[in-house]
Amino acid sequence: MHPEKPPAPEIRITDPEFRRFRDFFYRRTGIVFSDAQRTYVDRRLTDCIVAAGSKGFPDHFARLLVEPAEMERLISAFTVNETYFYREDYQLHCLTSSLLPQITAAKRPGQTIRLWSIPCSTGEEPYSIAIWLLENWPQVDSWDIEIIGSDIDSRVLQAAEAGIYSERSLMRLPRPLVARYFTVIGDGQYRIDAELRGSVRFSRVNLIDQGETSRWRNIDVVFCRNVLIYFDEVSRRNAANNLYDSMAPGAFICLGHTESMSRISPLFHVCRFDEAIVYQKPGEAGHA
Amino acid sequence: MPLIRRDPPPPAGDALPATGGLKSDDPDTRRRAIRSLGHEPQAVPVLMGALEGESVPAVLEAIFSALEMIPDAASPLASLLRSDDAGLRNDAVEALQAMPDAVRPLLPGLLADRDADVRILSVEVTRCLPAGEMVTLLCGLLEGDNDPNVCAAAVEILAEAGTAEAVPVLRRLAERFKSLPMLPFAARVAIERISGAGN
Repeated sequence: MHPEKPPAPEIRITDPEFRRFRDFFYRRTGIVFSDAQRTYVDRRLTDCIVAAGSKGFPDHFARLLVEPAEMERLISAFTVNETYFYREDYQLHCLTSSLLPQITAAKRPGQTIRLWSIPCSTGEEPYSIAIWLLENWPQVDSWDIEIIGSDIDSRVLQAAEAGIYSERSLMRLPRPLVARYFTVIGDGQYRIDAELRGSVRFSRVNLIDQGETSRWRNIDVVFCRNVLIYFDEVSRRNAANNLYDSMAPGAFICLGHTESMSRISPLFHVCRFDEAIVYQKPGEAGHA
Repeated sequence: MPLIRRDPPPPAGDALPATGGLKSDDPDTRRRAIRSLGHEPQAVPVLMGALEGESVPAVLEAIFSALEMIPDAASPLASLLRSDDAGLRNDAVEALQAMPDAVRPLLPGLLADRDADVRILSVEVTRCLPAGEMVTLLCGLLEGDNDPNVCAAAVEILAEAGTAEAVPVLRRLAERFKSLPMLPFAARVAIERISGAGN
């Protein structure tokens, strides 16, 4: 017979606590929650409090201020990390049929093409870009291609570097490609090819932190999909400024299909290609 | 494999001395200098000074993006509503709309400004407030403002986001300006929209 576990304390988030948390989370991440999301926030926050063994909101909030690991867990709980290989692949078509021809026209063979997936979550997007290029871009061997995956959540970056995926993550990937680039490791799990794992650089970057984004320069194509929708207007504009400064003249940025840079910032030109609408930093491409 | 992996580059060494970079002939240098100023109140006069004579959109965007993140910038930004430059006026409106907490205490004064053009732009700024506050401010304006263009601007916003409290005010406005058919018409449309009778 097992002794009964004491019941978990009932955690309730009061209105002032909700507002305090919302302001705090916004200042740290740029992600804003409306009153309409109260139930969602309460549920996630309560889960975090219970999982951390905190006594309640005041206790947990005090820990968040001094325990970076708890803050990481909180960010992880509130950021949507679900993605899969070849998601929104029309942009990958656009990359090889329209964007790269323009970019390479202004470079010399052998120069670096730098691609940035931010946020990259658990790595599906940057690895998709790598596989797509290897499979669909005949000029791939003529260039040094640098793929960077960045995210605010360091736990998903660890998963990205491990490169282990479920069947669900691979659902859009043609079976021959799964066979070519993945190894079955059992229990419906697949590990991506070591060479591919070694070819993507993962780094923690907060998109609204100018000090963190400024480490990356001369990016030729940015994939920044389905994250700006979570930001408020000021943070979106700040993120757009940060991305702009990291991009090379003439570089492109791909957003999620429901997002429009034109409503965020006047910094970029709209480019309507057959496959997708993308945005371009003014200026001539062709830096090293 | 043509895919290469490099270590992260060192932090970009482009934190230029702001005062030097701001005077540069190169717009990219000016933009970087602007962005290196940070978001502390002491940056406000430097940013406002950088607006003078600046015409490159990417630099202007950096300036206004920085200003809207500094609550102390609300008042200097509001002063731009008097600018002769339409682009500056519009950018100021957008920046003020992005800082509702800072602009809130300024709005009663701006909506009572002697300059009707400033009042029209200030009416636009109220869009950033919660509906209840916006309606209260605009209804107060409509009860006393004698400029038809200012009132028309307020009616337009109430037609989009007004609440039932605005209806009697709009009726009185229509009566007060009955010699100007445009305003009673606009007020009627707004009332219909608020009441759900029109779309």
